[in-house]
Amino acid sequence: MDNDSPAKAILVVTITALVCSVLVSGAAVFLQPLQQAYADIERIRYIVQISGLVDSEAELSEFDIVSAYRDISLRLIDLESGSFDTDLDPQSFIDVSIENELQESVNIPAAQDTAALQSRPRWVAVYLVESDAELQRIIFPIYGRGMWSTIYGYLAIEGDLSTIAGVVFYEHGETPGIGDQIQRASWLAGWRGKRLYDEQRQLQFNIGTDSATSPAADYRVDGIAGATLTVNGVANMVRYWFGPHGYAPFMNQYLAELNL
Amino acid sequence: MISRLPQALVAPLIDENPITLHILGICSAVAITNSLYSALVMSAALTAVLCFSNVVISTIRHHLPHAVRIIVEVTVIASAVIVVDEMLQAFAPETSRILSVFVGLIITNCIVLGRAENFAAHNPAGVSFLDAVGNGLGFSLVLCTVATIRELFGTGGLLGWQIFPATDAGGWFEPNSLFLLPPSAFFIIGGIVWLIRSRKPQQREKAEFDIIASEPARSSRWST
Repeated sequence: MDNDSPAKAILVVTITALVCSVLVSGAAVFLQPLQQAYADIERIRYIVQISGLVDSEAELSEFDIVSAYRDISLRLIDLESGSFDTDLDPQSFIDVSIENELQESVNIPAAQDTAALQSRPRWVAVYLVESDAELQRIIFPIYGRGMWSTIYGYLAIEGDLSTIAGVVFYEHGETPGIGDQIQRASWLAGWRGKRLYDEQRQLQFNIGTDSATSPAADYRVDGIAGATLTVNGVANMVRYWFGPHGYAPFMNQYLAELNL
Repeated sequence: MISRLPQALVAPLIDENPITLHILGICSAVAITNSLYSALVMSAALTAVLCFSNVVISTIRHHLPHAVRIIVEVTVIASAVIVVDEMLQAFAPETSRILSVFVGLIITNCIVLGRAENFAAHNPAGVSFLDAVGNGLGFSLVLCTVATIRELFGTGGLLGWQIFPATDAGGWFEPNSLFLLPPSAFFIIGGIVWLIRSRKPQQREKAEFDIIASEPARSSRWST
């Protein structure tokens, strides 16, 4: 066949495209389990970092991570009933970004959808850190829209179910150098000790520029200059997940049982 | 034919080095040479992609229609880059995170397309492979030289070993963090180019035009 005929050109391009797509998708499919294993250990690293079981500034080896992770118990919350679900295996629910046939999706009423999620799962896996049967921390997964992407993170709360013990964001696609400052350790450190709720268990938490002067300083985290939209997304997702449609009913129920 | 084989391998090291003679691949040479480790990984990744694309293009060169040859070449290169990127993410995830977008940008690295278009499309597979290895090594040589200088003077160490004792650990060496910033790579590459061209005057480019003495500026009608 003549090399410069249109038919030959189409043939060569088609064959190249087919062979190359098999190569690329083959590599993606075969290497996916290894990449997922790495993503899992990274996620666990973040959980361990805010669990209070290790020095949150220290360099952790994989051994440190796995041994600390053993002391954290995984529990499943049914957000509809606001209580622990002991029938289902929480292991299947740990990654909120993975499809799961046991999971049910719940629509979020527009008025309460501050994180622009439209729907959220019914069951959520949380991590409990206990010592001597006393609750030290609960680590809740949170996620929501940032400026460009969905931001995934964990927020650790102390035993009073209001004080923030630590927060991490482990996956996002925000602007490098600007929005990705939400992963900066010094900014995340400013969350520690702030509270989500007041004495009446009303959600007061917010992020803003008035974090030092506001009368509500206990509930305010600093913003990040230049990354307003990303930070607003983070504030909105925290306010959604710890609001009345998120974890608040579960926490109120938990506190009520504790006081009985 | 036989005499061309070692020539294809050796020439790109200095005489026809893709970075210092052709000034290609500067983007990654500036971006990732602040540590020797990432320079080594980048060199290996680029050499692998270059070998794959050169051999494949050279094998199919008699069936490459002239009108679509660039598309086919870029498709082959892009596939190789994605496979290398996926493998880095699976087997060396930390490194992959450090190199971030620059592995993907090998697709647009002019060295790869340049060798495919200028060499592999006209030569048999064996000599194209040697050309790829040679150009990969030539790229690696410059990259690793620049990275060694930058890491050594920027941090006082190399590959995690402290070579010059730093002042904050009681030593005498004050790390110069300018070496860790991209501009230092420009200075160092410029220095290497100057060094090579002063030793090998045949590499100097001819002036494209003569510089003539400027006339006194005429008064602009806007300035009145």
